[in-house]
Amino acid sequence: MRLVGVELRRLWMRRVTWGGLLLALVVAGLAVVTQIGAAQPPSAQEIAQAERYYAEQAEWWQENGEQETASCREAQAAEPGADYGCDRLEPQLEQFLPSSSTFVWHETSGSSATGGLTGTETAAAALSAEVAAVQESLWSGWSSLSSAARSAAPAFLMLAFVVGVSFVTAEQRTGALGLWLTFEPRRSRVYGSKAAAAALGTAPLVLGGWLATVGGLYALHAAVGTVGTVSGDDWAQIAAFSGRLLLAGALCAAAGVALGVLLRHAASAIGGAALLLWASAGFAFTLGTAQRWLPVLNLDAWLRDGAIYQYPARAADPSGEASVPWLTGVVGGAHGGLYWLAVVAVLTLVAGAVFCRRDLD
Amino acid sequence: MIDGELAVETRGLRKSFRTLRGRRVGVENLDLRVPVGGVHGFLGPNGSGKTTTIRMLLGLARPDRGTATIFGHEVPRHLPDVVGRVGAIVESPRFFPAFTGRSNLRLLADAIGTPRDRVDAVLEEVGLSGRAGDPYRTYSLGMKQRLAIGATLLKDPDLLIFDEPTNGLDPAGIHEIRRTMRDLADRGRTVLVSSHILAEVQQVADSVSIVARGRLIAEGRVADLVAGQAGQAVRVGLASDEVAVAASVLGARGLSVERDGAALVVEGAGAAAVNRMLGEQGVWARELAPRQVDLESVFLGLTQTETAGESV
Repeated sequence: MRLVGVELRRLWMRRVTWGGLLLALVVAGLAVVTQIGAAQPPSAQEIAQAERYYAEQAEWWQENGEQETASCREAQAAEPGADYGCDRLEPQLEQFLPSSSTFVWHETSGSSATGGLTGTETAAAALSAEVAAVQESLWSGWSSLSSAARSAAPAFLMLAFVVGVSFVTAEQRTGALGLWLTFEPRRSRVYGSKAAAAALGTAPLVLGGWLATVGGLYALHAAVGTVGTVSGDDWAQIAAFSGRLLLAGALCAAAGVALGVLLRHAASAIGGAALLLWASAGFAFTLGTAQRWLPVLNLDAWLRDGAIYQYPARAADPSGEASVPWLTGVVGGAHGGLYWLAVVAVLTLVAGAVFCRRDLD
Repeated sequence: MIDGELAVETRGLRKSFRTLRGRRVGVENLDLRVPVGGVHGFLGPNGSGKTTTIRMLLGLARPDRGTATIFGHEVPRHLPDVVGRVGAIVESPRFFPAFTGRSNLRLLADAIGTPRDRVDAVLEEVGLSGRAGDPYRTYSLGMKQRLAIGATLLKDPDLLIFDEPTNGLDPAGIHEIRRTMRDLADRGRTVLVSSHILAEVQQVADSVSIVARGRLIAEGRVADLVAGQAGQAVRVGLASDEVAVAASVLGARGLSVERDGAALVVEGAGAAAVNRMLGEQGVWARELAPRQVDLESVFLGLTQTETAGESV
């Protein structure tokens, strides 16, 4: 414990750590600033314009509604089991009114929970209860908080990783590690103290950044009157997300320490991680259901308590049509958490073994 | 020969490194003995394996084979049992550049549970109190070296290992380090100092080990090593027209004779014997002086022999 305490003190004596905290606050600020426009309630002019459009459409529906509905039903009948929503074709005023984002999103608030999916070809996708649960969660819809969870939260984790990498590579680069080991030669203890210090010491950075984001967004919505309904359950979910983010930050920092030890140079470790992220994002769809083993997807699943991915169906269409149906898969939150725990545990074991055996200057 | 209680002992120590051209041996079958108390010089040309040996003693490098002990504890396996008695500077001092001198020492002191007031005492001891609050990167080389010595003193160690401690220092800095080492030894500590600057070691060391190409080629008390070579070489000053005759006379007696202007450097006999040999032939020396033998000449003689042996 003494060594962990010393390493924690050293971590927070470093400018990189303070710079990371500052950057986290900048990210939080940006997350709030980018929501200013979306958080504004619609102006009277926008509402008047929307009502005009609605009136025009309603008039057109009066003339053509019956014909449209009949065409729709005819098409639906040609495809047994399909629901074209022919009873819901009539224009509604709500569809024309401009909406502003709220602090949190609720499935019942009228926004489309499947907004992320409707643009994709889900011809053969039957959404399971798991998929629905993910789509209906607080973190999936259109709200400033879910947007921050997708953009700012990963940035905080990235910062924790970079601080972890830099924590050990700087020590190796300056040679201070050699001096350190002449004071404490038990290398496994030394490695453990560094990993623990990075995991614990980056918590203020991750949590501070996230809480600043949540607080800033809430204040923004409160200021313009678009907070919306925030229930006790919503706050519980936000607290749970914060906890998961905190644990993910600790794992990212520990992974940073491990990669820093293994690759020795900060540029190699950070560059390697960036390459992995890029490859994960760029070629994920080529992996089919193996996407469930991608690190980013699992991190996303852990943070948001579930994540979905899509992949083209392998089976050929029996009708011989050229369309390729896309299916939807789910990675659960527990899967994501265990995946990352296992990855970081393996990395830590390997890096610890290398650290214990490596010759040092 | 080094006898008595040993602070450091290695037996058959070997270390090789992987290089692009295969394996390079840094230390080969090294038997090093450092007696308890006093200053022990660990001498050898650059690349002779001094730093590698020290790194193995400190657990920073793993030997391929052989054993090493510090105060009877086998290292690196039992290094934790004895590390509190060992202070070391390996090559140049290495601290965190952005931290102050005091912060650097406090971190180390905290790591081993040394009270913080000891840090200020040590800074005072090495004359850095006035600059203790400045970032380490702003220190001069001499100050860095002094801070490193301060770090070793945090533990109040029985054995201090200094690897090339005067590298890059000005004469005043060298003198200061030398005095510090001597003071530490006089206070009952054992100081192991590696260096390739032999004059510096001769002034401060009580005993030495000389290595070349990773092997031990000589060891013993400095005085004994120097005495072993002294008196065996004599510089003979002669009238210029007698140099050739004198060389012939001494050469005929089986001595090694080397011409040096109007003088001869004769090896293999003392001054009195050389004078007698020349006098018997009617050649009278104008000057007879035992050649000054110092550690450097001992070292050069030994390392050249080693090199010649290697090349045969």
